[in-house]
Amino acid sequence: MTRGHIVIEDVVKVYDPQGAAVMAVDHCTLAIEPGEICMIVGPSGCGKTTLLNAVAGFHEITSGRIIMDGEVLCSPEKPRSTPGPDRIVVFQNGALFPWKTNLDNVIFGPVMQGKLARKEAIDKGRAMLADAGLSGVEHNYPGEVSSGMRRRVEIVRALMNDPKALLLDEPYRALDSLTKSVMHEALLEIYYKNKVTIFFITHDLEEAIFLGHRVAIMTTRPCKPKKILNVDIPHPRDYSALTSKRFRELIEETNDAVHEEAWKAFQAGEKEG
Amino acid sequence: MDAALRLGAADEAIAVLRETTPFGDASEALLARIAGIARRARYAAGARIYSADDAADDIFVVLSGRAEHVFKPEVGAREALRRVTRGGVFGWAGLLLGQTQRLATVTAIEPTEVLRIDTEALVGLLESEPLEGGHVMERFASMIQREFTLPALLAQVRRLSGPLTEEMSSLSLTLYRLSLWLRSPRPYLMLVGFALFLGFWYLAVEVWKLPRFREMPGLTNVVREWLSPSPTYGLSLYIAEYYQHIAMSVWRVAQGFFLATVLGVPVGLLLGWSRSFKEYVFPVFETLRPIPILAWVPLAIVMFIATESAVVYLAFLASFFATALNTMLGVESIDESYVRAANCLGADRWQVFRHVIIPGALPFIFTGLQISIGVSWFSLVAAEMVSGQYGLGYVIWTSYVMVRYPTIVIGMVTLGIVGYVTSALVRIAGDYLMEWRVRELALAER
Ligand SMILES: Nc1ncnc2c1ncn2[C@@H]1O[C@H](COP(=O)(O)OP(=O)(O)O)[C@@H](O)[C@H]1O
Ligand SMILES: [Mg+2]
Repeated sequence: MTRGHIVIEDVVKVYDPQGAAVMAVDHCTLAIEPGEICMIVGPSGCGKTTLLNAVAGFHEITSGRIIMDGEVLCSPEKPRSTPGPDRIVVFQNGALFPWKTNLDNVIFGPVMQGKLARKEAIDKGRAMLADAGLSGVEHNYPGEVSSGMRRRVEIVRALMNDPKALLLDEPYRALDSLTKSVMHEALLEIYYKNKVTIFFITHDLEEAIFLGHRVAIMTTRPCKPKKILNVDIPHPRDYSALTSKRFRELIEETNDAVHEEAWKAFQAGEKEG
Repeated sequence: MDAALRLGAADEAIAVLRETTPFGDASEALLARIAGIARRARYAAGARIYSADDAADDIFVVLSGRAEHVFKPEVGAREALRRVTRGGVFGWAGLLLGQTQRLATVTAIEPTEVLRIDTEALVGLLESEPLEGGHVMERFASMIQREFTLPALLAQVRRLSGPLTEEMSSLSLTLYRLSLWLRSPRPYLMLVGFALFLGFWYLAVEVWKLPRFREMPGLTNVVREWLSPSPTYGLSLYIAEYYQHIAMSVWRVAQGFFLATVLGVPVGLLLGWSRSFKEYVFPVFETLRPIPILAWVPLAIVMFIATESAVVYLAFLASFFATALNTMLGVESIDESYVRAANCLGADRWQVFRHVIIPGALPFIFTGLQISIGVSWFSLVAAEMVSGQYGLGYVIWTSYVMVRYPTIVIGMVTLGIVGYVTSALVRIAGDYLMEWRVRELALAER
């Protein structure tokens, strides 16, 4: 597996609204291995979304470089990477187009890029939805199905493009804890079948340790890795991992670091962008 | 154990189906068809009806007796154990999305008689009646969540497919909503409201003869004039000229509204989409927009030598601003994530415009069009009063000048009705183009 190797080198991002500079990311260096699930944990407002948006190409970086599989996505010469189907973002609030049926959403990528004719795309989309247990909602609009199901459809929409990496920005934040736990297993199941690199942002340490191969704990704003944890619980995992001894130990090992940053963020009165 | 239902037994089946949650308010015809595919079965006390993980084939409706329904633990139901008696429905796992196996074990704890309904046959039957069938499926979903305490995530019922549902048009959805509306108290309250209003009019003018109301044309007077084959003042439902006035006004509004839409929507889209276009155009736009339409009348007459085009121009002008402004707001209201998602998925600028900006702005565009048709009537009547021949505004004004008071009211009421119809047409067109929104709203109302 050599796809989806993302290297973030010394990236700095300063927002500059009316000259009042806000440093959101500070000389952040992090390598995401091909095919791994890399979890980013940090308190709200620390700059996680800012970092992810830089990888996705939604805004410029101030300095540093981001490289994927040897290709320089952005650097001082080209401060903004071009968004594209090799790195697909799954958004915090979901971004399925509400005016298209779930199936039409899923086939959007290949059809827009001209990679598949509509008819072929429909066949592939149906098959992928069926694979994820979502056949029944093909003809529904996103607004008609549960939020958990919408997230799964959105991930299928991304996978239709055979991306190198999925960038997930707190996708399960708005879900209740029961739905969330089901979504975690569903995500792992999809991951075991597709093996893409997953760059997953969260503020929930348990979620991070349950899902990730590695967990990068970020400092509060400006954001950079404070500690990187190798989660040595073997994959494939299921929900029994949550009650395992090792899981509890890892939580204990890292809880202090996360809590300390959350406390700093609280005192600084951070809020999200 | 199974026996096909004989005549008479079918009535009994229909009776019990009516006691169930999912079929409780289904039509007689649908119940009869369901009874037609049901089979009767009997279980002794202690007999196992089915076990968890068996194939989920039949749905069971209890006729008599009592059974114990126990979910397997992984299901995560809030209450794992449930006793089911007459009117209870179980064995519905086959209706859930992606579920083909039983989720529970069911045992008869008394001698129990049930109806067994094949799941696929039932689904096929419901698919042939997509509207009612969809409703039954929804009631299944809510029963499974409320009565069987299954988590919402699991309690997702299958979607009825088949040619009929896939093509189920917005029109049939609209009709369905209409039938729901007729069954609700709303239309009757509305009738009461009208009755009160008309009653007050009648009493104030003709019975109590209140000051200021005395000179008004009375209700009976207006109605008699309106329905008269030979009206005193020359205008009623029986007179061809009445329809010429209506036709003329409708034709003028249609032209003005059409022009306002074909120009206003693209201008609004550009205003919202292109920053530099907005910087050029918007200040001018915002200066002209607040000028009341009546202030344009003299200039319009000077500008267009023919009064006809002047009147249409005025009907156009106000609605153009309403449409363009709302379209612009619509584009600006689109969540940035949609554009970003489209970029991630490889859409180019034009594709984003076509697949994200236009459909995303559509709800606002139609709000704009609703407003626009209203102001279009408003400015039309103003214009017709000042210049022009024919048209409802002209009728109202000349009737005033010639002291034909009942005809003024006939003109006003006609305007109200025609205006309402045109705006309803715009709304129906909107529902037709935005099925997704109709469905979302329908769900939100539940
Ligand atoms: N467009 C922006 N302009 C100025 N400041 C911003 C902008 N977006 C985010 N920020 C600031 O950057 C910091 C990090 O925000 P964000 O990356 O959204 O945090 P997180 O995703 O970790 O919660 C916050 O202090 C936020 O106020
Ligand atoms: Mg964020």
